[in-house]
Amino acid sequence: MVSPRKKRTLITGAVLFFLLSFVSVSQIQPFLKLSVRDYEEFSRVVIEPSFPLSFEIDKGSSFMLVKISIDIRPRIQREPFDSRIIKSFGWTKGGDYYILTIRTKIRDFSYDYFVLDNPTRLVLDFSEADEESGGEGRASEREMQSRLDSAFSREREESASQGIQTIVIDPGHGGMEPGALGKYGTREKDVALAIGLKLKDVIEKNLPVRVVLTRENDVSISLENRAAIANYNKSDLFISIHINSSFRKDAHGSETFFLSREATDDEARRLAYMENNPAEFEEGIVGDSEDEITMILWDMAQSAYLKESSLLAETIQEELNHLLRTRNRGIKQAPFKVLSGVACPAVLVEVAFISNPEEERKLNTEWFKNNVVEAIYRGLENYIERYAQR
Amino acid sequence: MGRMRVATLGFLFVVLVILVAVFFLSGIKEKVIPAAPASPPEVEPLPMQPGQTRSVVLFFLSEEDTLLHPEKREIPADLSVVRQAKQTIEELIKGSQKGYISPFPPEAKLRELYVTEEGVAYVDFSKDIVEKHLSGSSAEISTIFSVVNSLAYNFDDIEKVFILIEGRERETLGGHINLSRPFLPLYDLIAQ
Repeated sequence: MVSPRKKRTLITGAVLFFLLSFVSVSQIQPFLKLSVRDYEEFSRVVIEPSFPLSFEIDKGSSFMLVKISIDIRPRIQREPFDSRIIKSFGWTKGGDYYILTIRTKIRDFSYDYFVLDNPTRLVLDFSEADEESGGEGRASEREMQSRLDSAFSREREESASQGIQTIVIDPGHGGMEPGALGKYGTREKDVALAIGLKLKDVIEKNLPVRVVLTRENDVSISLENRAAIANYNKSDLFISIHINSSFRKDAHGSETFFLSREATDDEARRLAYMENNPAEFEEGIVGDSEDEITMILWDMAQSAYLKESSLLAETIQEELNHLLRTRNRGIKQAPFKVLSGVACPAVLVEVAFISNPEEERKLNTEWFKNNVVEAIYRGLENYIERYAQR
Repeated sequence: MGRMRVATLGFLFVVLVILVAVFFLSGIKEKVIPAAPASPPEVEPLPMQPGQTRSVVLFFLSEEDTLLHPEKREIPADLSVVRQAKQTIEELIKGSQKGYISPFPPEAKLRELYVTEEGVAYVDFSKDIVEKHLSGSSAEISTIFSVVNSLAYNFDDIEKVFILIEGRERETLGGHINLSRPFLPLYDLIAQ
């Protein structure tokens, strides 16, 4: 007889084996990463295949077709985007190739393209046609080179601020939703907002970045909209500020969370679904509707950034431990709703326990809030120095 | 003969006194430590006997650490898995007999529980579990994983747990942990 414990070990082993084999299978399956970013004069689409790239480009009036030679259907990985020019993507099978359709919001666009190595990327820049570029068609070799150089110098300028341009701070709860409550009447939403506002000030004074708050006053905002605000603003880092609460009276200290990778098989199933239903996939990409496919795509956005998110959580937690001398509760993973749709490294800081009267008292003092702000700021700065410099 | 009788009566009296003492003293002891302390948090479920009870392990919080602590309960073994699972959650809501902390608002009630063929248990709680909840991340995590672990640990037919409130899907309990997907158990949270 197999004891229940052994049995569980066996099951766990089987699950692990399944997951591992899934991972290796997904590595064999080719994939294609798509990203869209708007610049002042153009919108850039970057196509990053996991396989040797051989392609052809055809231009229509409000779309572009990129024929990509490959036998197996590649998996598409795409971040949510909001672009002036790019409307949506589509994906269809041709003979021994697949066609990526890029639809534009404007008619008569012009474009440039170039290929970068390491990793191989096809970069397509879309701009409105009315400018001096003599209509459509491919730019000459030289024009291309100069365009490429200027694009690069632009990117380099940006990375002067270490690649981080926009930080979104999300003070938890608000409005109708007070969040956790302290014994002496302290409300999570108030402390989170106070810390968020201070943090915005400190970051803006010290770093050349834009800081966006998901709320600047006492209003209700849905968890999905908080992620949407981050993505709409092309957030490079996302920090949600919360105050913790526990059933344990003694619970105290700071914790920094990042999203846990849950239900891996579910995600695989969703991906498979999208691959098999490219039409709906496309619909989903267009969608500013509440359409389910859109939600699924947004739902998965954070899973591409878990590694960076864990590093950000670590650097922030390090400083919190150091500066606050609160007990190290360390970094943790949990399926936080607000983090799941954010398309950049994202963490949730639980500053202290409002359920602990001692910490509730601290949360009402300016020095404690200032210390928290300084710790988070230093953590951010360390993260940028260590990991975000290119 | 008379002496023999006195001795016998005396002996019986002493036995009676001892029995009474044992009876009452053990009663007092039980009040101090509600559960029989003889059973340590042994996690191995006992072999099932037909028509008998089986033991299940419930998971509670403790002031000692941030982990979930196991506590055994006996439930009828001749019930269906669903009824056993229901009873397990009801016992969990009733709280610990060893002084552990219950990660539920006392008003919380189990409305319904069912298990799909794919091994997902749908656990439907009354709205009190949301309205009376502490609404902190740690509190939400404890509530959710005491339910998820208590079910997945004891029942091979349950792999994942989906939490419903008043029969409906809900985004979160109090603004933090995503309830819109089923949870796998987190055995890392269990104290050894």
